[in-house]
Amino acid sequence: MSEQLGLARESSGFLKSLLRTSLKNRVYLIIIVIALVVFGAMPYMIGVDSFFIYYLFMVFIYIGVSQGWNLVGGYTGQISLGTHAFFALGGYTTALIWIHGITHTWYYFDPLLMLLSGIVPAIFAVIIGLPTLSRLRGDYFSFGTLAAAEVLRIIILRTTEFSGGATGLQLPSGGFTDLGIYYWTALLLAVLATLAVFIITRSRIGLALRAISEDETSAASHGINILRYKMLSFVIGSFMIGVFGSLFVYYQFLINPATMMTLDRWMFYPLLICVLGGNGTIMGPIIGAFIIVTLFTFGQNALGAINPALSKVHPMLSGLIIILVMKYMPTGLWGLKDKISPRK
Amino acid sequence: MGLSVQALVNGILFGTMYGTAAIGLSLIFGTMRIVFFAQGSVIIFFSYLCFWAFSLLGIDPYLSMIPVFILALLLGAGFYYVLFKEAAALQDRISSLLIAVGLMFILENFMEVVWTPNPRSIVTSYGFSIITILGTNITLVRLIALLIAILATAGVFIFLRKTLIGTAVRATSEDVESSTLMGISPNRVNAVAFAIGIGLASIAGINFATTYSFDPKYGFDVVIKALFALTLGGIGNVVGALLGGIIIGVIESMASFYLGMGWAQGVLFVLFILALTLRPYGLFGGASQKA
Repeated sequence: MSEQLGLARESSGFLKSLLRTSLKNRVYLIIIVIALVVFGAMPYMIGVDSFFIYYLFMVFIYIGVSQGWNLVGGYTGQISLGTHAFFALGGYTTALIWIHGITHTWYYFDPLLMLLSGIVPAIFAVIIGLPTLSRLRGDYFSFGTLAAAEVLRIIILRTTEFSGGATGLQLPSGGFTDLGIYYWTALLLAVLATLAVFIITRSRIGLALRAISEDETSAASHGINILRYKMLSFVIGSFMIGVFGSLFVYYQFLINPATMMTLDRWMFYPLLICVLGGNGTIMGPIIGAFIIVTLFTFGQNALGAINPALSKVHPMLSGLIIILVMKYMPTGLWGLKDKISPRK
Repeated sequence: MGLSVQALVNGILFGTMYGTAAIGLSLIFGTMRIVFFAQGSVIIFFSYLCFWAFSLLGIDPYLSMIPVFILALLLGAGFYYVLFKEAAALQDRISSLLIAVGLMFILENFMEVVWTPNPRSIVTSYGFSIITILGTNITLVRLIALLIAILATAGVFIFLRKTLIGTAVRATSEDVESSTLMGISPNRVNAVAFAIGIGLASIAGINFATTYSFDPKYGFDVVIKALFALTLGGIGNVVGALLGGIIIGVIESMASFYLGMGWAQGVLFVLFILALTLRPYGLFGGASQKA
């Protein structure tokens, strides 16, 4: 209840709402600041090439991609199954611009490049969003996004001269020194992504999105332009996902459909992360990302080293997790806190 | 006759398999508004079961079809009661879609662990004898597959029209609340629908195993095309789903023939999107489309 009241109150302005924060929210804020400081200092504390830093790096990437999905899937209720397409588009944009030297900037971790890597997926989102969101019911929208993503995969695989086909493209090597710059950029971008989703959902836009996710007909009858808000969340979400795709390509130095468009890693996991952590919440993707990346790195690296067949355990486990979550905990882990503490 | 006619015929035969899968999807979606995304993986799972029966025990796939079909019916009911009962009751689309996707991941990876990612197929001794009809060559297994698919469709059609349970299934597809007011137990109807859906998957699986090679990841491909067939056929329309499947099989085959396999997939997906946007109620869609 107070969540909804808070929303109504805070939709009148984000800054005003900051001034009115309660003690509880101030505590949250302090915890967040401390966490950020700790994360920021982590490479100095344990050495920048440690596995834990790599682990956190992956966590931040998944937080970012999942927040992008969260905006359209969690807050607006439109299940997009095309996340991997936006991720790959962002990566390919970076790769192609760098390889062909289109903008004459310094390319490696270039903000302009990363910005463009967000814009191209956003354009793609507009193209597939317009027909699918305007006419199609929820399930069909999901298939539409999935089909569009697979069309993209086929185009990438077939246009070998342009996109490198199945083997992919190699980035002209920049200066990969250590994991440091990746880690901090990922941390910064994850914070920005979370902040963006936070601001959007606390604004009037967020109110509209939530209304749409709960009851479209009712929302429309209250004068909300359904298509516009759905498109807005879809496009902004895809922008965020694309930027993280660019970051990931900087890390891999190689891009091909097998690594950038794997269904389980880049389509299913962001979705699972949001649902496990709590669909339509801010903290949900963060919690979910920590859990799922732990599962994933453990399954891939630890179990996989023992026996390659065991590396299949973690996708099976994630399938099982999502079934269990949907059956017994549909509000996700973050939603559990509402169930435990009684509402006044 | 030319090679293109050969491609057409192959497309029809292949399409009946998509159609069989689509009928199952149609039943499940019609009664419970659940998109059973794991259908493709389930089909491949049954293909592997038949493969096992054939290679380990030497049982002819068409003989193993009967116990496998019965197993599939039970499995379908089991899926419903264990996984989908709550989601069906709440008509929760997101939940059911995600549960189905989760099941797909479990199945795919399970199959990959147990049977390895290498493609398999069932090759029987009599399978490749060629029958020539109207100048085109058809292998015996494909002809049998076509016959089985048609028989299965007819069977389901008769079941839905002539039996009491079948009528209950149809009624629930049209209007769940009214059906419960009429005294129809939704759980039982849903379980029956699921059972038939998985049963049809097992039939498609056997057909698939005998005619083509398959690997664990192929299920995803199959389910997308089955969904496409379902979209074309219109929800709740059994014959429409089969026809939709055939159309897709033909398009895929002809596009493969003229453009090559890779682009054929692309063409298919683009057409899927177009069909979704332009005619979401299907080419043969009926009147009461509670979409």
